[in-house]
Formats: sequence, C-alpha cells, structure tokens
Amino acid sequence: MTDRRRINPPPGGTHPPIFASTLSTPSALRPQRPTRTRQPSELRKIFLQTSLVPSASGSAYLELSPSSPPSAPPSSAAYNPSALKLTCTIHGPHPLPRSAPYTPHLHLSTTLKFAPFATRQRRGYIRDAAERDLAAHLETALRGVVIGERWPKSGVDVVVTVLEGEEDGWWGDDVGGGEGAGGGGKGIGGGWGLMSVLAGAITCASAAMADAGIDCVDLVAGGVAGVVVEAGRTTKGKGKSGEAGLGTVVLDPCPAEHEEVRAAAVVGYLAGRDEITELWVKGDVGADAEILIEKAVEAAVSSRTVLVEAVREAAQAKFIQPAENGAAVGSKKGAGSATADVVMSG
Amino acid sequence: MPAATVTTSPTPTPLSFPAPIFAALQPSSFLRAHLAPDSPSQPSLRANGRRPSEFRKPNINTGSLTHSHGSAVVRIGDTAVVAGVRGEILLADDIPNPPEREKRDFDTNSTRQESRGSGADPSSKGGGDADADAEADSLAHLQLLVPNLELSTGCHPSHLPGSPPSSLAQSLAQRILSLLHSTRLVPLQQLRILRPRARSSDLDDEGDEMLDPDAAVDGDGDGKVKGWEVVAYWTLYIDILFISLDGAVFDAAWGAVVAALGDTRLPHAWWDADRECVLCEEDGAQARGLGLRGCPVAATVGVFAPGRRGVVGGEKEEESWMLVDLDAFEEGLCREVVTVVVDCSGGGNGRIHRVEKNGGGAVGMGRMRHVVRSGEESWRNWAEVLGELGS
Repeated sequence: MTDRRRINPPPGGTHPPIFASTLSTPSALRPQRPTRTRQPSELRKIFLQTSLVPSASGSAYLELSPSSPPSAPPSSAAYNPSALKLTCTIHGPHPLPRSAPYTPHLHLSTTLKFAPFATRQRRGYIRDAAERDLAAHLETALRGVVIGERWPKSGVDVVVTVLEGEEDGWWGDDVGGGEGAGGGGKGIGGGWGLMSVLAGAITCASAAMADAGIDCVDLVAGGVAGVVVEAGRTTKGKGKSGEAGLGTVVLDPCPAEHEEVRAAAVVGYLAGRDEITELWVKGDVGADAEILIEKAVEAAVSSRTVLVEAVREAAQAKFIQPAENGAAVGSKKGAGSATADVVMSG
Repeated sequence: MPAATVTTSPTPTPLSFPAPIFAALQPSSFLRAHLAPDSPSQPSLRANGRRPSEFRKPNINTGSLTHSHGSAVVRIGDTAVVAGVRGEILLADDIPNPPEREKRDFDTNSTRQESRGSGADPSSKGGGDADADAEADSLAHLQLLVPNLELSTGCHPSHLPGSPPSSLAQSLAQRILSLLHSTRLVPLQQLRILRPRARSSDLDDEGDEMLDPDAAVDGDGDGKVKGWEVVAYWTLYIDILFISLDGAVFDAAWGAVVAALGDTRLPHAWWDADRECVLCEEDGAQARGLGLRGCPVAATVGVFAPGRRGVVGGEKEEESWMLVDLDAFEEGLCREVVTVVVDCSGGGNGRIHRVEKNGGGAVGMGRMRHVVRSGEESWRNWAEVLGELGS
C-alpha cells in the first residue's frame, strides 16, 4: 500500500529488529517481567501542564511517570518501560461553515491519533479503528460537561496526539516469553493499554477545555481500574474461576505489570456533581462490576486533584501575572508597555 | 515589547487601538512601525521584541521517547517539534534492483572498526568524492531514509486533522528527504549489516547459491575466501510531529531531524545463519551511533518590504528589512524567503549545502552574502546546543 502523499518505505518491506535475547527460553525472560510496586489503590504520578500551544485556544500536556523505573536505565537497547505521554489542543469555538447544518449546540469534533513512534510496533499515519473508537469515547466524556447551548452554530475541535502510548501487555508475552508461564497468558482480548490512554485523554482534554475557557459544568477526570490476576495466584484463581472474586481490583493498572488483566473500566467522572459522563467496561467482570466501577471512580477522584491543581496554576498565571506585569511596566515607563494603546492613523 | 506610535497629523483625534487589534487590522504597518520607529532614539525592533538579525535560541531535549532508537524535542520560541528515529531491517534479498555497488565485497576491518567506534567522529569521511557520490546515490536508490512530517496534530488552527497531509507538509517532507541525501548526513556504511561471504565449497547452503553469481562476478569464486557481503540494511523511519507551530517550520523540523539522528543508537546486528535472520544485541552498550557527517543547520531569512505590493523587481530600491528566524506573524508578511543550509563544522570556511529562495527579487548578490552570514550565525547558535548534547 503506497501513500503518494507521504514518503514511503522501501518496496522490499522492513521488519522491526529481532533481539537475540528474546529467543531464549521463557524462564530466562521471566525475571525481566516488571511487577507492580505500587499499592493497589495508588496511582502513577501524573504530570499535567496547560497552555503549551499559544496558537490554540486551549492546550494541555499529560504524562504518567513509568511505574517501575528500571534499575539500570540505559542498559537495554530493546525494551524500556514506557510512560503515557499525550497532548491535547482545543481550537475554537469557531463558526461552523455555511454548508454545515444548523446546530443549536456546540458541535464537538474529537480526534485522537497515536504518533508513529508511540507504540512498540510502528504506527501508520492514517487513523485506524481503535483511534476512532477512542475519539468517540472521548467525545462522549466531554459532551456531558460542556454547556453547549451557549454556542449555537459553532464548533470546537479537540485534537489529542498520543506521543507515547500505554502498552497492552508485557513485551515478553508478545515474543513468546510468557508462554507456559503460569498458564495465564495474555488475558482475554487485549488492548488494555487503550483504557489508560482514554483516561489520560479525558483528564488532559478537560484541562485544555478549562484553558480554552469553554464553559463547562465541572471538570471531568478520567480514571481506570482493572481486575488483575497476579502470577502467584493464577493456579488458585483458575480453580475457582467461576466465582465472583476473580482477582484483585487495582487502580490505574499498567498492563505490562500484570500477568493477566481480566477486566478494566474507564470512567469520566464529575466529582462536583457525582455524575459519570463516560463509562467503558471491558472484559469479564463477573458479578461485581459495581466494585470495579467504584474503584475507577476512586481513581478519577485521585486524578482530579492533579487536574484541579493544574487548572488553578494556569488560571493564576493567566489572570494574576498579567496584572503584575502591567503594573511593573507601567511603573517603568508607560511608553514601552505592550498593553499601551497604539494610535492608528490613515 | 515596545509599541510604536505612528502619528502623522495631530488634527483630529485618531482612532486608538490596543496593539493586538492594530496587528490584526494592519499587520504590515504594524511591523513597519516597529522596524522604523519615529524617534531615532528607539531601536529598530520587530513586533516580537527581537532585533531583525536576532535568532531565537533553540532548546533541544533528546532521548525522551522510549520506543525510538533516537529522538529529539526541539523548541524554538513557541514552535515545538518532536522527531523520532526508528530503525527497521530491510533484507538485501528483498530489494528488487539493488545497486551494483552494493553487491561487492566489503572490507571488514575498516567497516568493523568504524562501526564499533564511537561513531561520532567526522573524520570517518574516507574515500574520495566520487566514492561519496556513489554512496549517496546508493542510499537514495535503496530508500533507506524515510522522513515523514505531520502538521495536523492540532499544532495550529490552519492545520486541523481530518484531511490528507497539506501541500506544506508534503513539500516539507520532500525537502527534508532531499536535503538528507544531498548533505550525505547519514553514512551508508553504518546502515549496512554484513555477513561473511561463504566459500564456494559451502554450496549446500541455499542462501549462498542465490548469491553465488555475484561472487563469480566479483571474481573470487575460486574457493578461497570471502570478504563480507551485505545481508540487510537498517531503514530509518524519521517521524516528525509538530506539537506547536509558530514560524521557522523548516528550520525547526530540520534541527529536530539532525538532533534525533545524532541521538540515534542502532543495536548491534548480525546474521544468524541457523535461524536465517538478522538478530540484534539487546545490550545497549554495544549499540552504535550513526556517525553523522557534519552538522548542517538550516536558517530562514525573510524580506519584509511593506512598499512592494506584487511588484517583482521593483523600480527603485524601496525600504525593506531582512528578518531572520521568522515567527508566524512575520511569515505572513514576508513574501520573499531565503533558506540556506550551512555547515561550518569542518573547521575553516563553512560549506553551503543548499540555498532555496522564492517570492521576489529583493535579495541580490550583496544581500545573499548577508543571508549566508546569518546562516553561519545560526549554525553557531545550533552547534552550541547540539554540542552540549554530544559532550
């Protein structure tokens, strides 16, 4: 498949490098499997900053710190733990084109794209189904908070770029290192990393919305919780898999750290109103879906503290500093100030 | 940011606007008022507070992406670019028409030494100019460098996603590709993965049967040895994403590419005859750099000529300003833009790799010298930052 608008790889076709160490036996790889060092109710550290893109009306950058930092960082040329990094920019509200049909509400259009270098396998430039699906989930989460009636006939573009995604599992499972390692395997389905990406995107987009000054009823924060089966308990868990308590419920699961993720839930939660605008549950939850969702809400509440802090900082920078600057410049000399009026002639 | 006051006659009270509104209504007069202030005591500054020949200092971070072999984040003012380099393997057997040159034997000693070395020394140029030309041709023919550039990341309201890459994005990617080839930045020898050429007595190996004709051509099919042949190449996918866009698009993108390539460490790779595939060493200590040739830097200079309105090669010399390192506001006002790519890393005189000029005739011989000098200044600006990374 050639794309004539982009520069194409050589026609012979390329493949990612194969590392010799991954061809060894699963038992040799097992010690490299990362384990969760956090408490079950502890989230990874979130870094959130707003107003990065001056040409956009609002923007934010979110980064999750890698949960298990490697002991010797640059030792491996192949596999380093990744951390979620994403940016969100908001353009608008702008008038919709004349050709667009009348809408009484603000028209939200969300786009989510992984960078080509965001994942272990190189991604293409054309959006795939997973990215479109995530964008649709994000739109649902945001539509619930925006007061759309205030902008009839207008549109807002929410663009999320994932610079580095969450992994769907431990790399050892992909290269065969996980086979026979406790029988768990990869769990059902896959795509668990997308859940964390969505939660991050919701939080980040909410900060960008606040930065853009678009009226919202509350800040929406994303949270994930997952049902995981730990390596030691796999055999036990398998025996009574029909039971409700399938595994441990953890907040903010990092799929690479768990032998198997049974189920996961993402919520977009408004803590101020105790409302959920977005709910996505995946996997085999069993009977206690409510516990899982409650835990996801708990995660959202925790990430909200970071969100509130970032928005507050941004607001202080925006509204308090200009006043100080203006005062400083004014005292220096009025003529040279940026805020002084310019007289236009002719 | 000093505002300028333009007053012609004090008769009626003229309209008074805040600076941003003036800039939006009359961008050209706004910039002109800054550059030619009324009182001679005020310096000629641009609307962004810089002198006309003042560059913004780039800010570079490398190695921040996990899944890339090399990466760089470059910020120039409000422009922010992320570039990631990822190496993938292209088997020589999969190449439809490999260049003849690539079928020859390779001297293991020289390549090994260079490949094991730190790689960052520019002294590894070797060979004559003709050799380098041929190598550059082979590199272009093999298409081992795949730069792509994405503008529709929400970096600017004029580049929203949902549409195919704009012509700007396409032309930028193409310019970067051609510049990569014409500067010969990446040496082909660092991308080759070699294996010992088998003796002709080992014909039972089917892979060698296919390659045997080449051996005969080379004239060493006489059962002795051997030399090394290319079994595969590293293909470098260079992906450039703009996070934020405020002018200096090409300069920033090219700077990010150079920084990311400089940061690239390819794992040590070898041919595994049993598995018949190329394997890589995970140990990061054995990974090697690309050994880039020089350090070309792009600098863009725009000509702001408020008097000229669509007149090419105007009647008389009108007032115009040469502005370096344009921001987005100035880019909209400068019709004529010159981009020079210079490299002063060889010591002594710098080398001009490329000059691209379009949009008018204000830059003549004399001014072109000025442009090249600003290119050199820009190079020093960048080299300082890039050099800090290297050390």
